[in-house]
Amino acid sequence: MSIGSASLGHAVRQDGELNARALRSDARRQALGLLALLSPGLFLVFAVIIVPIGWLFWLSLFDESGQLSLANYARFFEQASYIKTFATTFKVAFVVTGACVLFGYPLAYMLSQLPRRAASICLIFVILPFWTSVLVRTYAWLVILQRKGLINNWLIDLGVIGQPLPLANNFAGVVIGMTHIMLPFLVLPLYASMKTIDVDCLRAGMNLGASPAATFRQIFFPLSLPGLASGVVIVFVLCLGFFVTPALMGGGKVIMWAMRMEQATSLYSNWGAGAALGVVLLAVTLALLGLFQWLLGARATGVWSQR
Amino acid sequence: MTKRLCIHGLAVAGLLASAAVPASAADTITIASWGGTYQEAQTKAFFDPTAKELGITIKQDTTNGLDDVRLQVTGNAVKWDITELGADECARGSKEGLFEKLDYNVIDKSGINPKLVHDDWVGISYTSVVLIYRTDVFGDKGPKTWADFWDVEKFPGRRALSGSQATETLSVAALAKGTPIDKVYPVDIDGALQSVDKVKGHIDAWWTSGAQAMQLVKDGEVDMASIWNGRAGTLRKEGAPVSFSFDQGVLTADCMVIPKGSKNKDLAMKALAKFVSPDLQANLPLYVDNGPANEKAFETGKIPQERIKDINSAPDNVKKQVLQDPEFWRDNLVEATEKFNNLIQQ
Amino acid sequence: MLLSLAPSALPIGIHGIEKRFGALSILSDLSLDVAAGEFLTLLGPSGSGKTTLLMILAGFVRANAGSIKVGGEEIITMPPHKRNIGMVFQNYALFPHMNVFHNIAFPLKQRRVSAAETAERVERALDLVQLKGLGERRVDQLSGGQRQRVALARAIVFEPRIVLMDEPLSALDKGLREHMQIELRNLHRRLGMTTVYVTHDQREAITMSDRIAVMNAGRIEQIDQPEVLYARPKTKFVAGFIGESNFIPVECRNGSVWYEDRKLRMNDPAPSAGRHLMVVRPEKLRLLADADQARPVNALPATVGDVIYQGDSFICYATLRDGRQVTLRDYCRSDVLAKLPAPGEPITLGIDAQDVVLVTDQ
Repeated sequence: MSIGSASLGHAVRQDGELNARALRSDARRQALGLLALLSPGLFLVFAVIIVPIGWLFWLSLFDESGQLSLANYARFFEQASYIKTFATTFKVAFVVTGACVLFGYPLAYMLSQLPRRAASICLIFVILPFWTSVLVRTYAWLVILQRKGLINNWLIDLGVIGQPLPLANNFAGVVIGMTHIMLPFLVLPLYASMKTIDVDCLRAGMNLGASPAATFRQIFFPLSLPGLASGVVIVFVLCLGFFVTPALMGGGKVIMWAMRMEQATSLYSNWGAGAALGVVLLAVTLALLGLFQWLLGARATGVWSQR
Repeated sequence: MTKRLCIHGLAVAGLLASAAVPASAADTITIASWGGTYQEAQTKAFFDPTAKELGITIKQDTTNGLDDVRLQVTGNAVKWDITELGADECARGSKEGLFEKLDYNVIDKSGINPKLVHDDWVGISYTSVVLIYRTDVFGDKGPKTWADFWDVEKFPGRRALSGSQATETLSVAALAKGTPIDKVYPVDIDGALQSVDKVKGHIDAWWTSGAQAMQLVKDGEVDMASIWNGRAGTLRKEGAPVSFSFDQGVLTADCMVIPKGSKNKDLAMKALAKFVSPDLQANLPLYVDNGPANEKAFETGKIPQERIKDINSAPDNVKKQVLQDPEFWRDNLVEATEKFNNLIQQ
Repeated sequence: MLLSLAPSALPIGIHGIEKRFGALSILSDLSLDVAAGEFLTLLGPSGSGKTTLLMILAGFVRANAGSIKVGGEEIITMPPHKRNIGMVFQNYALFPHMNVFHNIAFPLKQRRVSAAETAERVERALDLVQLKGLGERRVDQLSGGQRQRVALARAIVFEPRIVLMDEPLSALDKGLREHMQIELRNLHRRLGMTTVYVTHDQREAITMSDRIAVMNAGRIEQIDQPEVLYARPKTKFVAGFIGESNFIPVECRNGSVWYEDRKLRMNDPAPSAGRHLMVVRPEKLRLLADADQARPVNALPATVGDVIYQGDSFICYATLRDGRQVTLRDYCRSDVLAKLPAPGEPITLGIDAQDVVLVTDQ
């Protein structure tokens, strides 16, 4: 600006307004250009996310006779089974997420400590189950876990147990089957975040007098938390909407929200019944994600206490 | 201007199409059924002979039930000209106005149970819910009646009932508490629920699909179960140590409908008339355990005498069973299912 | 005594260190003594083994053989967290999830120092590295120089007897680096801890060190005070790595050293017979006037190639009679400037007898 003023002299100098309009319209043009670049993405978000969710919400507000009503939501309070299903869904999600952390953290830690080649081979084994359908894997678990399945037969043959353990067609079966399917969703982000932890930070910890265990506890573990958090969120949210495994492994005794949705769409002649279930699950999931975000946000901006 | 061009274009395209392919869209109908061995049997029993006789092409698809029909009809995207449904779904869909009226001048309804003949739907076959038990556990002294199934002291063992078909489970529950076969309908829902409540704690699995019921019995995960007779027959053919009979079975009908808005309604009507004719109905039990809906099929002489006793809709077997009333369930399904769900999830 | 001016620094004795990765030998039979309180620099190009040696000292890399004694105590098998050695890492390795205070307090926490004493010691350490009042800052809010100081404070706050530094200034820009060099040296003088410093920057090594060990291919080529190392390099590698050098081939026969047909005057005794290289620093070469011929100077006739004026000094590229190019540097004093030769002009280059240094020609 000052260079322009000096070189162009007095003729155009008007209280710092030199080229101001041209610059403003240039900025506007640039903003429009950016918007144009973004528009396919925005359109996609609108068409694939906003519109269907809006429609879902809209549908949920009509009863069977097509009248605007809250009947689809009122049902949740009138029928105890909905509350029970909701509680079961969250219980399964919590337990499966916990089991995934329990098994996934050591697995991701081991992978992160292996040499690169060995780690990539092991990672293939982690990802391999993705190439098989969930249905096939669930049936495989059934074969392994049921009353006359592999595990019970072995244990009985070895004389470890007299009666078969109830591993399938119940809560335990659902948790085992789902944990297996969800594990990679926890391990992959966790592994990625562990790989970014600076080896020198761990060396520094030991150099400064922390034993390997203390270094893990005070340095490695806190630094792996962001990856763990994203893995936990992914697994938890996926669990909330899971269908196949609980339907097959639960023996009809572990009814989750998605199964209820399927049932509602066939039981009721309007979409509203299922849609309302979807809206509730979406709202609760969003609220939980918000809570996670809030907790993690607080951690990221503030330094968390050492004591 | 543009509109006229379009019409011309369409007309030309239509002419070209009909000229090029003799069996044009007008000579093709699409039928949806449940898939699997049942639909294969239907293809041999109904679809292929009909296509041959009428000189048409029958394309096939599979359905998940009434939701699919509702989606197509309410969305103005009807793909199917005929689809199979459960009888209670037919009754419900009829109430919702999802089907075309049937022309009983074209379709001959004689021989079909009047309960399965309606303005816009007609029975096509029967499935039975039967009590199956493993002979390696009970020998031939297994539970024979639903009262036996409910008697956990006399018949200890693991049990499975349907969790997804509340109507069937409530019917057998009514039988279990001693209701005579001809008094089950109309079902005393609360009484049936109380009956379910008594056995609930001893049910190890509430199955949600026929395949699951079969797997539970086959793998010995349960020792007795309610199961569809087709699945039970398959188990017996495979040599699994099982026993079942039609005593106290629950007969449920399947029906066929023409979804509202079908583009080949008239042709579909003709095809449907063939499907329910005694001649083609008699083909069905040659390929599958689902019995024909038209009892005149048993008079055609096509079905071997020794086969008849294994067919659930044979007159002698029908007497031993309860026929599910589709219209009762049309009116009571939602309430009964919600109450049933509440109960088994407690 | 907390961060005292005269802590009981300990000497380090390194003997016979071997380190191999498979067939590749990284360090071979390496021995080195560091005096108590000494600032010793390991200087060498990348791959010379200096960082590996430091890692072995810290305990992060296990040697195949050898001994490391600190104050007479063998530590070669001691795990890193028990060695009580402070270390400053190349990339600082500050803990990103802790603020400045907690970073510096970390070693004290491991040693179960009371909260009150920790606060006091961290405060003093912050003061020492001129970061007073920044304890609550997050690590990512600090500049590069500030992070460097936090890393330093963290490495000395627990009063280690030894401090190791792995190219700690390499990530800083030039001005800050030079400033920190002086600061580090002053800090070392105040605290007096035995320090082993790794760098590939010879100027940094010369500025800061009591002694420098020049490493090449897993061995120590020469270990000396900076001025000795510069003035009297023992090998061609050392002469080439530290400062600029002209290498002029000479021959020793009959107890005298000859450059072509000229017998060189030198103060050092003549080496063994055979071919050698004369190491001549550019600033030790002079332009000789005719009047200087009488002094005890070795005179080499040459032709001027180019003269580059650099303000405070100039560089003259000249070609000897054997075609070898040499570099001469001198300050731009008025008397010198007045007689600056032009390109193509014949000149005579002079080397004082005391500046003649011979290394073996390898």
